[in-house]
Amino acid sequence: MILRWLLIPIASLFFESLYAHPLRLSLCEIEYRSSTKLISINLKLFLTDVNEALVFDPNSKKLAFCQPNESEIADQMLLDYVNKFFYVKANGITIPLKIKQKRLSGDGQNTALWIYFEFSQPLKLELLEVKNAVFSDIFFDQNNIVYIHVNDESRSIMLNKKTSIHHLEF
Amino acid sequence: MLHQYFSFIFLCLFLTYSCNQNPSNKDSKIETEQELIERALKIHKNVLTLDTHADTPLRMIEPGFDMSERHDPNETGSKVDYPRMKEGDLDAIFFAAFVAQDIRNDKGNSRAKALCIQMIDSILVSIERNSEIVGLAVNPEDAYSLEKNGKRAIYIGIENGYPIGDDLSNIKIYFDKGVRYITLVHSSNNDLADSATDPYGFEHNGISEFGSKVVSEMNRLGIMVDVSHGSDSLFYDVINLTKAPIIATHSNARVVTNHKRNMTDDMLRAMAKNGGVVQLTMLADYLREATPNIKRDSAIAVLRSNIKPIDKMTDREKVSLRKRYQEIEVKYPNSPATVKNVVDHIDHIIKVAGIDHVGIGCDFDGGGGIQGVFDASEVMNITIELVKRGYNEQQIGKIWGGNLIRVFKEVQKISEQLKTDTSV
Repeated sequence: MILRWLLIPIASLFFESLYAHPLRLSLCEIEYRSSTKLISINLKLFLTDVNEALVFDPNSKKLAFCQPNESEIADQMLLDYVNKFFYVKANGITIPLKIKQKRLSGDGQNTALWIYFEFSQPLKLELLEVKNAVFSDIFFDQNNIVYIHVNDESRSIMLNKKTSIHHLEF
Repeated sequence: MLHQYFSFIFLCLFLTYSCNQNPSNKDSKIETEQELIERALKIHKNVLTLDTHADTPLRMIEPGFDMSERHDPNETGSKVDYPRMKEGDLDAIFFAAFVAQDIRNDKGNSRAKALCIQMIDSILVSIERNSEIVGLAVNPEDAYSLEKNGKRAIYIGIENGYPIGDDLSNIKIYFDKGVRYITLVHSSNNDLADSATDPYGFEHNGISEFGSKVVSEMNRLGIMVDVSHGSDSLFYDVINLTKAPIIATHSNARVVTNHKRNMTDDMLRAMAKNGGVVQLTMLADYLREATPNIKRDSAIAVLRSNIKPIDKMTDREKVSLRKRYQEIEVKYPNSPATVKNVVDHIDHIIKVAGIDHVGIGCDFDGGGGIQGVFDASEVMNITIELVKRGYNEQQIGKIWGGNLIRVFKEVQKISEQLKTDTSV
């Protein structure tokens, strides 16, 4: 799984004008394979949005994500924020979010922060509940695409402030 | 004396003529602003209005989102639904099925295909559910026949060739589902082609070998090749390869606004030579250079200098601070892009490429939406500005849909030739 994470080519996730990314969008990929009994979650967020949400400054260097001088409180601040607006429940149980890895891709205003979580799911996955309202507290038009891959089945949904939670059965 | 008499007569005639030429003369018909708007709206109603790019299918995968309901764009950010298409008198639209570029291997490709088909199916379901007001359009003339029956025409495109994977036969699958254009690449390079905006630079120096085969297959099937988002080299490669006219479903003029996603004058001329069309898009950053917002930045700097460290704040304090930030944003908004910027681009493209090579692709629900053309209900404002600048109904008809339909017909005609004559 980590290998896949490392090998994933740059996916500049989003839409138009990555220069100034006027469209408020994030991408989340949730993957489960019964063979590995793992649920992986990739959150891909614009770094400017993360900084805006956490420290009220889109161009802030204070937290310095993924840099040698990354702030000691960066991960905790990030998790505190994400936990408020995002969760995944597998068979009704909330997956505890612990950052396994994170990295940056892209440049300038297009820089994306990828946050990777992994969770052991020994029981067959039958029900998934996803909440994704990240950045809806700061942008009224924030939309969050969620791609869900369960074994060989893929689905996509769009979540936002109005519709932040969705349930899927397998 | 006789001379004086003729001079007097000449003076009288001259004054009479001059008065008749004077715009302030009460007898001459001066069009008021209101009359101009009414004339523009009449033209807007008469012509086929076709928008070649909307990412609305992303909304269709939002649980509970209903295209038959009117949504408030200021509350939800949604820019297109069927009631607002009717309000804006938008006759036809291409809904683009978009799949974000991800891992480029068999697993990634098959996932992309599944996601793309899901998105196309969501468009088809929406059309079926609202069959009294919209209809699926797959041929150029469908837009006119649906309009005649009082329905909006829904065409389907694919934004990003990623769901083709490495299998040319997928293109036929998408064609059979109603897809009539494919944007070869999106914001990052894929197996087909180079993007204009991949942060890691170019990979194929234009189009890949597989991408060339994709273009040929699209030509054969009668699917329009969309070069928006592609690198400049990709554009020229496609121009050289294609047997049919091509389109740029949502791109502007680089001379007017310097952005990699916009097209140079040389590209515009090449597009004209190819017989294709460039569809103007409503993305602020592609329409004008943003001016610095000094007042807002100063107000934020003052606010920042008077707060305690964020990590020492309680949640309540953070909410209060957020509110103060938002008040500043409201008080000092960024200078907007306007419909005048849109028609500046149209003017330029017409100057360089001619009236037959420009159209409109708003990119609603994908970042598009500016002051005056914020959503589908306001697209008539483009027509009003065109009329203000002196464009007539025939010209506006070409811009709003005629040109695209011409290209679409030509693409289908060449497809038929390619299917029957292998020497073409």
